[in-house]
Amino acid sequence: MTARLHSDRNQNFRRGGFSSRETSHFSLMESKSVEKIVEIDCHLGCAMSGLIADSRTLVDKARVEAQSHWFTYNEKMSVESVTQAVSNLALQFGDDDAGMVPWSSRPFGVALLVGGIDEKGPQLFHMDPSGTFIEFEAKAIGSGSEGAQSHLQEVYHKSMTLNEALKEALVVLKQIMEEKLNATNVEFDQVVREVNCCHVTRDKNFHMFSKQEIEDIITKM
Amino acid sequence: MALEQICGLNLHQHIDGFPDKSLQSMNISLLNDDPLQDSKFTLPPVAEPAEYLSQLAKRDGGPKIRFLHGTTTLGFKFEHGVIIAVDSRATAGPYIASQTVKKVIEINPYLLGTMAGGAADCSFWERVLAEQCRIYELRNKERISVAAASKLLANILYNYKGMGLSVGTMIAGWDKRGPGLYYVDSDGTRCTDRLFSVGSGSPYAYGVLDTGYKYDMTVEEAYDLGQRAIYHATHRDAYSGGVVNLYHMQETGWVKVSQTDVKDLHYRYQEEKGQA
Repeated sequence: MTARLHSDRNQNFRRGGFSSRETSHFSLMESKSVEKIVEIDCHLGCAMSGLIADSRTLVDKARVEAQSHWFTYNEKMSVESVTQAVSNLALQFGDDDAGMVPWSSRPFGVALLVGGIDEKGPQLFHMDPSGTFIEFEAKAIGSGSEGAQSHLQEVYHKSMTLNEALKEALVVLKQIMEEKLNATNVEFDQVVREVNCCHVTRDKNFHMFSKQEIEDIITKM
Repeated sequence: MALEQICGLNLHQHIDGFPDKSLQSMNISLLNDDPLQDSKFTLPPVAEPAEYLSQLAKRDGGPKIRFLHGTTTLGFKFEHGVIIAVDSRATAGPYIASQTVKKVIEINPYLLGTMAGGAADCSFWERVLAEQCRIYELRNKERISVAAASKLLANILYNYKGMGLSVGTMIAGWDKRGPGLYYVDSDGTRCTDRLFSVGSGSPYAYGVLDTGYKYDMTVEEAYDLGQRAIYHATHRDAYSGGVVNLYHMQETGWVKVSQTDVKDLHYRYQEEKGQA
């Protein structure tokens, strides 16, 4: 389950953030190998939900497109353009008709949240298997996303600071974990173990939080 | 086209490098990061591109493409990293076209490339290298090694061997194995050593470098050696001159140390000799 918040201008400071929870059913599982948030470029990140293996191709396409754009235009590719490039792949499946060779026989079974910062500011796009992409201010995807989305609806406001946004994202995820595990109080160290968080800012670019940093945010809560 | 389809033939096979125009806009090929598959890098649609292109580079008769080979670039590894020093003169025959050419290409914050031979060839292909290095970094979640980066470039250049590219570059960086320095050229050569100098002024630079080089030099001594070697090359080689651009590749990435006019170095060294 992935939740994403983004906040808009506040003292001319642009930012955005992602967080996700890796479901760890197995205590022997190496949770850091479950990669649900990836970097596309230094100003872009992507979170995914669904058949994660399908997303690897989409992410690679996004990375190559972003670099190709840099090569040709010597500028960072905008968030929308990257999403557009990836969405072009979504419908390239089916039978060979009209001389067009399809990429695969089935659609990509994954939804993506592509977020980053460009000239227009922080932006977040949600893309589904049909290739449709829509911009959101805050979005949650995956199992448990309905609850998360309604929570985001309550807490999100445009002038949120980065720290507020991070805190809310973790609160949402903790709540979802409680629902899933039918527990009344999830221990924080479990949250730390299972949650992955990253943010994209103008000055620090894409940054994936370490476990220590997530703990620091939680202790401040 | 219709007959093709009925017969089930696919005659629309692209000649080396020219992708089918009708599919071009869709560009379905997903992992299209092989530079040679990209329509950017087309070759002439002839049977033997190498032969055809080498005729263009021939000196006598026909259209001439002459490259500006006049340059001095040098690089050496030592205990505290890699020093890169280059001149900044571009010549077209006897005419000095520019005294302010940037012959060091900043591939990324921890990789540098030098320019010798064709300026456009060097800067274009090193930009391709920058693109590939960044993709490597994203895919593998770690920086590319200097060996791998230089190999990427060497392999790309080898594909165009004999077609008139002129690239004589040094790739310098700092990776897990420490400071790295590779020489790569358009003949397909790729080798590593502690000390390299490339260009028309290189014999003069080698004289000074070989005399003064020690692996355990201090940083200041290394800066001085690099500057001195370029100065002496510019003094005797007509095709080298301008300013000395000095870079130091450290563990944390490269820094641009200085940009010094060779005129100033000339009078400075003259004074030193006078005082000695």
